[in-house]
This record gives sequence, C-alpha cells and structure tokens, in this order.
Amino acid sequence: MQIDRNMNILVVDDFSTMRRIVKNLLKELGFSKFDEADDGATAWPMIQSGKYDFIVSDWNMPEMTGIDLLRHVRADEKLKGTPFLLITAEAKRAQILEAAEAGVDGYIVKPFTAATLNGKIEKIFERVAERKKAAGG
Amino acid sequence: MGQALFWFQGEDMKNIKPKQVKTLLKALEKEDYDKASEMLDAIVAKRNESLIEGVEEIAQNLHDTLENFGQDSQLLQDTKHGLPDATERLEYVMQTTEDASNKTLNAAENMIGLLESIESQTSDEKIAAYLKQAHAEMTEIMTAQSFQDLTGQVLNRVIMLVTSLEASLKDLIERSGLSLEAIPEPAQSDAERKAQQERGMGPNVTRDGKKDTVGSQDDVDAMLDDLGI
Repeated sequence: MQIDRNMNILVVDDFSTMRRIVKNLLKELGFSKFDEADDGATAWPMIQSGKYDFIVSDWNMPEMTGIDLLRHVRADEKLKGTPFLLITAEAKRAQILEAAEAGVDGYIVKPFTAATLNGKIEKIFERVAERKKAAGG
Repeated sequence: MGQALFWFQGEDMKNIKPKQVKTLLKALEKEDYDKASEMLDAIVAKRNESLIEGVEEIAQNLHDTLENFGQDSQLLQDTKHGLPDATERLEYVMQTTEDASNKTLNAAENMIGLLESIESQTSDEKIAAYLKQAHAEMTEIMTAQSFQDLTGQVLNRVIMLVTSLEASLKDLIERSGLSLEAIPEPAQSDAERKAQQERGMGPNVTRDGKKDTVGSQDDVDAMLDDLGI
C-alpha cells in the first residue's frame, strides 16, 4: 500500500525531546513535512487551518490533553476524518477504551520502538484507504 | 519546655525539704553512708517525679496533636502512602534512566564496532575521515551517558532522605499511641478517579498505579483489535 510520504504531520507533545524523537523516527520512515505543538491548546488552532493530514499526539499535557484535542477534531465537520495517533504513557485499560470511544486511530504506549510506530502508521493509512474506497472516492 | 528537663528546675527545688538535706549532711558528717544514701535517694526521687511528669505531658501533647489530625489527616496519609509512593517513583526514575543509558551504550558500542570494521576495509581517505568523525560522535554519545552516574547519586540521596523521614514519622505516630494500620487507604471517588484519568496520570509507576493497566503494546493492540480499530 502506498502512503503519501509528503503529507503534513503535526506532532504534539509537551516534551521537546519526545517531539524530536517522534520527528526523527517519522523522518526515517520517509516522511518529511512536520510541524510541532507543545500542547493541545496550541495545536488546535493550527489544526483548524486544515493543513494537516495526520496528527500524532501525547495524552497528558498541561493545558489541553490529547484526548480532548482528539474530541475537538472529531467534533469538527471538516476535520473529523483526520487520522489521529496517540503516543502516551497512559496505560489504564479504561483510558484506552476512552480513546477508542473518542475515535482514535491508533494507540501507542511509551516507551515504544520505531517498528511499532511504523506498524501503526501503515495500519492507519491502510484503513484510511479502505474508508475512501468504501466511500467511492 | 524540654531543654531543662534533666536538671533541677526552680519548681523542683520547692519539692526538696531542707530537713532532708540537713539529715543528709548530718549522716555524711557521721560517716553513716546507709542513711546518707537513703536521704539522697529521697531527694532524687522528687526530681524523677517531675521528670516523669514532664515526659508524660510531652507524650500526651503529641498524642493529642496527632489525634486532632484525625486518621485521614494529610500528615498521616502522606506518611503511610505518600512517602512510600515517592520512593517508588524515584526508584522508577533510577531504573528507567539506567535502562535507557545501557541501551544507548550497547547501541553505541555496536556502532563503534561496525565503524571499525568499515575502517579496516577502506583505503579511501575521504571515507576514512568520515568514519573518524562518526567514531568521535559515537564516543560523544557514550560519554554523555555518564549523566546516569550523576543523577543516580543525587536520586539515591533523596531516596535515603525520604526513607528516613518516613521511618521517623512512622515511629512518631506509633509512639503517640496511634496505629499506622488504622490509617485508611487513600479514598478516591469514582468521579475523582475518572477525572484524573481524563487529565492523564503519567507513567503508572507505583504498585497501586499499576492496577488495571496494560502490560505491553501487545495488550493495547489486542484491546483495540477487539474494538475493530
């Protein structure tokens, strides 16, 4: 399956080291266009611009959490189809169920490996392609 | 109160009967040491009485103070749950940074081995110069891991301090007649727990925090798979 490596990706995490790691891993997977946000609250106006094809976000952030950001995206008519991957230390079963209910496309528990990230991205975009096909697009 | 406890205080002197002292002196003059010893004991007994009263008063005060806190007071809660939690969290930091350092060192060592293999097989000067620089960068990565030694030492000290503080407070609580076992488990309502999970709680480090968590990414994948995600 072909994934568009030129897509615009937004990486949201309050820790700059984590943003750097995620960006570097995505680069190794062939992606090249990223922006960063250090909180859900700073990410949301950026996302509203409609620029992003894929959002990778942490959960636990000071102003707006990743789960809240996900709900904002899913509640917006124009943005609701944006693939959303959570990469987080949150590991309670109840939280994973909550993320699923909120419409997350993938959930990675920290610490994670490059292979896990790659696997999730492939799975997510496979499903995006299937959805488009089903919608006749 | 306190610093003069082990000495005669003004008030104690009132308890000493001049007659007893005179009898003591007379016995000494007569070299009647049995009598002298008896009189001295009688005088010292007065002092001990007030000493014991003082200690009893302190113990009562301590008991009352801790009693007033109530079994669910923050101090008692922190002593029983907060401080052991803090230690577990610090130990988690120690372990995690140590693991990461070891992983990085292993990778750097393997990388240096690979670079040396290439070095031994190339005669190209330009490539050799690149390899040398790459080797220097790997050495930089290795030496940067020495942070683990420094932060580890600091964390060890803090862990020792917290552990000793915990032991002292527990001792104080037991001595005041309160029971550590009677201090209840931290009470968190369902709503509070939900709100905390909603905000995010960070890594689940403590024994308590690990309850109802997934053990690995495989568990997460299995859960989401069941939900069709």
